[in-house]
This record gives sequence, structure tokens and C-alpha cells, in this order.
Amino acid sequence: MPDRSTLRVGVCGPVGTGKSSLIALLCRELAGDLQLGVVTNDIYTDEDARFLRSAGVLAPERIRAVETGACPHTAIRDDITANLLAVEELEDDFAPLDVVLVESGGDNLTATFSPALVDVQVFLIDVAGGGDVARKGGPGIERADLLVVNKTDLAPYVGVDAALMVADAIAARDGRPVLALSRNDPESVARLVAWVRAQLSAHRAGSLVPADPGPMAPHTHADGTTHAHPDADDDHDAA
Amino acid sequence: MSSDLLLMLLADARLPVAGHTQSGQLEAAVRDGLTAAEVPLLLRARLGTVARVEAGTAVVGLHHLRAGLPLGPVLDAWAARTPARAMRESSRTLARAHLRLAVRLWPDSSYVSLVRGLPGGCRPLALAAAAGAGGLAPDALARLVAYDDLQTVSSAALKLLPLDPADAAGWVHDALPAAEQVAAEVAALTVPEDIPAPAAPMLDLWAQAHATTTRRLFSA
Repeated sequence: MPDRSTLRVGVCGPVGTGKSSLIALLCRELAGDLQLGVVTNDIYTDEDARFLRSAGVLAPERIRAVETGACPHTAIRDDITANLLAVEELEDDFAPLDVVLVESGGDNLTATFSPALVDVQVFLIDVAGGGDVARKGGPGIERADLLVVNKTDLAPYVGVDAALMVADAIAARDGRPVLALSRNDPESVARLVAWVRAQLSAHRAGSLVPADPGPMAPHTHADGTTHAHPDADDDHDAA
Repeated sequence: MSSDLLLMLLADARLPVAGHTQSGQLEAAVRDGLTAAEVPLLLRARLGTVARVEAGTAVVGLHHLRAGLPLGPVLDAWAARTPARAMRESSRTLARAHLRLAVRLWPDSSYVSLVRGLPGGCRPLALAAAAGAGGLAPDALARLVAYDDLQTVSSAALKLLPLDPADAAGWVHDALPAAEQVAAEVAALTVPEDIPAPAAPMLDLWAQAHATTTRRLFSA
């Protein structure tokens, strides 16, 4: 168990699945009784950091943006140094922090956090991204500590069966938790918050062991080829 | 053991010191209109200015560590030669990244402890601590600083400008004699006042402009 009281929570998942909104939601729900900090990894703009600051859920100085040099995978997986420095600075500047949330640069289905950077990680997909995403699998969908199927309230508008998508996710995860979330559904929000609080308790009790969801899974390219990457750092940078 | 291997380790882009977050002002320069064909000019400009300051600072820092002299005057000399606040802040962040690694590689090094204990320590001093702990000679340390500067800009160019990576490797290769010249110039320095003090106003302006933009891939 890491020798610190702060729980480091990673939030990753494809672009537009609601990572910043989920973090804003958690800040809103937890800031009343927990000391929080946020590190964002925008790929090109500081939009996510600005969104969170403007959401007014946390003091602006508790939200730090880290630039990844067009290497969002690298920054959360193989050279996590820039993120670790930002997390440690937040922990030092606002000691004692209870939770630091680290938002990955929205990338694709294959990027997950190194357990050396975060103690526990949430992977997000959303119904608007397509009902078949959960079936496609990948390390985050299959083995992140929590899989959130977000924006379930939009399902009727995008022609997706949210219940089936959640069932697919449960089938892909071998018993690991899946949460169907809508920020308009207070009961689902309460379950998300309860999960984070349970992770914090487990971390402080020494029973939380950070786990790696695994390297990139075999995947398909637009040209129809399928292959696996033997090395975790052999990623597909956006730029 | 030859110190060549240590030099390779420290010069390797795979060293986990957040090197991938840096463009050496290239991103700001490209935003300001710099083209791929002009990148070699930027490399030369950096070698003649900021890289000389950094290499000189590292070498004098290494001498002060080995001779038991105070590091404060070396840090002050570097800061006085690095007028852009954004550059100083980037260097301090990178120093923390290097020291984070150095304390793991050389947990018992007094050099690493000394630089870690220096408030606002800069990257050249962190490299000096690693060189001292690992047994690098001053000229090798200076080459490391100059070489890393070339590779930082050239690898960032692969992200920012569409080009064949062999072209970027060619830029670095072609600039090696100039990097050697920088190393030769500073390798014997021992006194902070003798660290080269060139001006690079465009690099300073780009660094400052980059620090305030809301759209960027690289930290600096």
C-alpha cells in the first residue's frame, strides 16, 4: 500500500464520454466533507481545466493542467513523471488532501493508467458513443476498477438499448463493477459517490492494491488490419 | 565501467523525466510561422544561446558540487542568464523530474541531496548532480546538455510539423559538430561569472507567449 493518506483516482475513456463532467460531479458531491485536487491532461487545449474551474466546484488553484506533448498515453502509462509531479505538488500545497482526481487526455478505448500513478481508475464509455462499445472490450472496459456507462438518459434519443449495453459490459468484466450513470439520475450519482468513498476507506485501511488493467489489446485499424502492440508505450499518438 | 553507458542512459529519450512534454519553444515558434525548413536554424540558435547557458551552468554546478563550493551563486548566474520567467519555471519543473529519478538511482549521493535541497533548483544543476553521482566528466555533461537540446526540438518537430523522421535525425546529426563546440567552450569552466551570457530575445518571447496560450500540445 502506498505510504500516503491521499487516494489518487484516475478517470479515463474516449473523447466526449463525460470525464470532465464526472469529475465536476464528484467535486460537487464530495467537496463538502473531503479535501480534493484535480489534475487534467488536455491533449491540445486547457479546456478541461477551464471547464472545471468555471464549474465553480473547486478553488481554481486546486485544478492543475499538465501538457503531454501529444503523448496522452505516455503521460498516464510509461512516463508518468509530469503527472506525478503535478499530483505531488497538489498534495504538498493543500495537505492533507483526501482525494486527487487525475483526468486522462481523452483518447481512445485502449489507454489506461499505470498503477504507479493512480490507486484506482474509472473507465468511461457512453451510450451516445454507440451501443456496441462495451462489446468491443479492451483493457479499460474489461479491467478498470469501475466501468461507467454514462449518459444513460440519452439512450432513447440515440437509439441505444442502455440495459443491453450495461449487460454487455457486465459480461465483459468478469464480475468487476459496472455503473449506469446519468447526472440527472440522483440514485446513480449516489452509487458513484459511494464507490469513491468505499475506495478511500479501503485505501486508508491498507486493503486497496492498485492494479493494472493491462496493456493495449489487439485492435483493428481503418485499413482492416488487426494487430497487437507488444509494448505498452507503442501507442497511437493523435499527432 | 566506462561512463559512456551512463551518458547513454541520461541522453535516452526513454528516460522517465517528462521529456515528452517539452518542445524547446518550437511549438510557439511554429505558431509564429516557423517552417520545417527553418528548424535547423532554431537548433543552431538554441545551441548558441540557451544551450550554452545550460551547459555552462551544468559544468560549473558539477565543479561546485565536487569542490564543495556553494550552489547558490551558480543558480543565480543561471537565473540572471535566463530572463524569461516561463523558461525558468520549465527548467525548475524538469529539475524536479530529474531529481525524482536521480534520488532513486543514487539514493546515497550527497550531490543529489544538495541539489534537491536547493530551493528553485534548475535542470542543469539536476543534471550536474546526476553527473557527479554517476561519475561523468564535465565535457560529457556539457555534451549531454547540448545533445538533449537538439533532440528535444527535433522530436517535437515530428509532432508539430509533418516530415520524415529521418530528416529530423539528419538535423541532429548535422548539428553535432556545433554541439561539440559548445561542450568544448564550457567544459573547463569553474566560476559562475564565466558562464556564457548570450541573449535570445525571440526564444524568450516565444517562451512567454507559450506560457499564456490556452492551446498547446507541449508544456514549453
